[in-house]
Amino acid sequence: MDNLFIALFEILSFGAIVVLVVLGLGIIASMMGIFNFAQGEFVLLGAYITYVVHSAGAPVWLGMVAAPFAVGALGFVLERLVVRRFYAAPIIAMLGTYALGLIIREVVRGLIGGLYISVPEPIGGSVNLGAMHFSSWRLVIIVITVLVMGGSYLLLARTAFGLRIRASLENPALARASGISTNAIYGATFAFGAALAGLAGALIVPVFSLFADLGLRFLIQGFVAVMVGGIGSFAGPVAGAGLIGTLSAALPWVISPVIADVLVFVLAIIFIKFRPQGLISGKGV
Amino acid sequence: MTKTTHAAAALSPPRFGWRAQRLPIVELVVLAIGVLLPLVLQDYLTVYATRVLILCLFALSFDLVWGYAGIMSFGQALFFGSAGYSVALLARDLGITSMALVLPAGLLIGLTFALLLGGFLLLGRHPSSVIFVALGTLTGSYAADRLARGWYYLGGQNGIPSIPPMTLGSYEFTEGPAFYYLALGILLAVYLGCRFLVRSQFGLALAGLRENEQRIAFFGYKVQHLKAIIFSFSGAVAGLAGSLYAFHEGFVWPNMLGVVMSTQVVLYVLFGGAGTLIGAVIGTVVIEAVSFWLSNSYQDIWPIILGTLLLLVILFRPAGLVSLIFSERERVGNFGRASKRGHHGPS
Repeated sequence: MDNLFIALFEILSFGAIVVLVVLGLGIIASMMGIFNFAQGEFVLLGAYITYVVHSAGAPVWLGMVAAPFAVGALGFVLERLVVRRFYAAPIIAMLGTYALGLIIREVVRGLIGGLYISVPEPIGGSVNLGAMHFSSWRLVIIVITVLVMGGSYLLLARTAFGLRIRASLENPALARASGISTNAIYGATFAFGAALAGLAGALIVPVFSLFADLGLRFLIQGFVAVMVGGIGSFAGPVAGAGLIGTLSAALPWVISPVIADVLVFVLAIIFIKFRPQGLISGKGV
Repeated sequence: MTKTTHAAAALSPPRFGWRAQRLPIVELVVLAIGVLLPLVLQDYLTVYATRVLILCLFALSFDLVWGYAGIMSFGQALFFGSAGYSVALLARDLGITSMALVLPAGLLIGLTFALLLGGFLLLGRHPSSVIFVALGTLTGSYAADRLARGWYYLGGQNGIPSIPPMTLGSYEFTEGPAFYYLALGILLAVYLGCRFLVRSQFGLALAGLRENEQRIAFFGYKVQHLKAIIFSFSGAVAGLAGSLYAFHEGFVWPNMLGVVMSTQVVLYVLFGGAGTLIGAVIGTVVIEAVSFWLSNSYQDIWPIILGTLLLLVILFRPAGLVSLIFSERERVGNFGRASKRGHHGPS
């Protein structure tokens, strides 16, 4: 019984991590129609910034607060300088952002080398329930994931900014005619997606350590999750990420981890083939 | 004034100017360099050059699907690597090393895998989006990589070491000039085959669907079938390259199957110029040569330079390096009788 709860906790916390990593990717894909292949490297940057701030002597949590702002700002600049030119063709956007990601990843690799650097948890220890111990930091990740999800939903569904994003998505020409600067909206959306990735990287670095391929680890998982969930809505990517994250965490308890990993992807691709619109189809939020 | 001269220039038959004949010239120059290279290179460089030739073959396979049919096969290494692993197993477990068996086997493995994956991704009631095909192939290659890493029979993380050399009768192909010329001969044969294919009516239909899929579909072509055919053909070429590579290197390892190799080939082709065949060869040679030259002194920053180059090419020269040498018209090629008589207007 205890083992079951511990397994459930593991599965839930991993699912939360995947949701956190995928949220920004899903928002960019849904709202802007491009797949940002540099998203994994934004996660990596978030983790790296947390490490840098921490190693400069500041507390870890300060790094975790700084990461989303720094990565968001970088995302804004990159959108202005580079990504904006790719909007016409989704495949070119994919390759272009992949190249961007490659550059970021290799720069970070040059800075940290091939090391696995551990970063401490800002909140250590564990919560004990009888004989069961749950890592406090993983509990915090679950809580933050729920808060971030709620906050992003409110931002997109209930604020004027969200309304403008959705208008720019539905009909850019009409949105521009109504006085919405779609260029600024795209920049802000991309920056927001990047900031979410930065936050994800900052929060998960105590769990996974910092290494150059940290972002790559989640890249394919992220895309598959977004496609399974369905592009064009807020709930889609979240549902997809929840499902993929839960499956990838749950299956290794039953079958060998390698088979589990491969099986998740194969099932996901078959699912997308027969339901291209994803779990949840629809425009808007 | 400019308008009329431009129109006149566009109508003049290209065969009269040397500018229009640059493509065959470039092809011949590349071939001549390829033939003469082992005479001037030291032995260890000939070995490196052989590897580059095999990678050129792999790049050709990607150029066929991406450059001509516009299919983003982001997991092309799946066919390359699975063929490599298959022939390695043939050699290790069954002792089959005869060239007459292993090369066709690699080709067939590549073809079969591409047929299965391509059939699944490209055919069916709903036409798949380009993004889905890209993601599906990438995922396939990633999954194969994971499987190879975790499967003890396939050697896991270390792959399969010390594959015995490929044989022809009693002759053993070890590294060196003989293997170089074998690879060059195969590359030349495949190149000519591909060149014939893309300049045939079939190639014209492919180029058409790359430019405007819907219009080609309206003409009555079965677009999805065309795509599946070229995808399978390209898988066969990648498989041939993979089996050659396995015997040349003497070992196979999971990176051959996975994302690393898959994205490398995209880089070669984009850099050289997609949709030209010769661009794939030039891109591979240039990137590999620079990478060899820089890998000793600038090992750490070379990937960064490579990424930056790729980004710049995508931003400013989407047609790649070869677009500096010849024009779009020559890149796509002339088709049919009308163009031979010089009637190039939009007809």
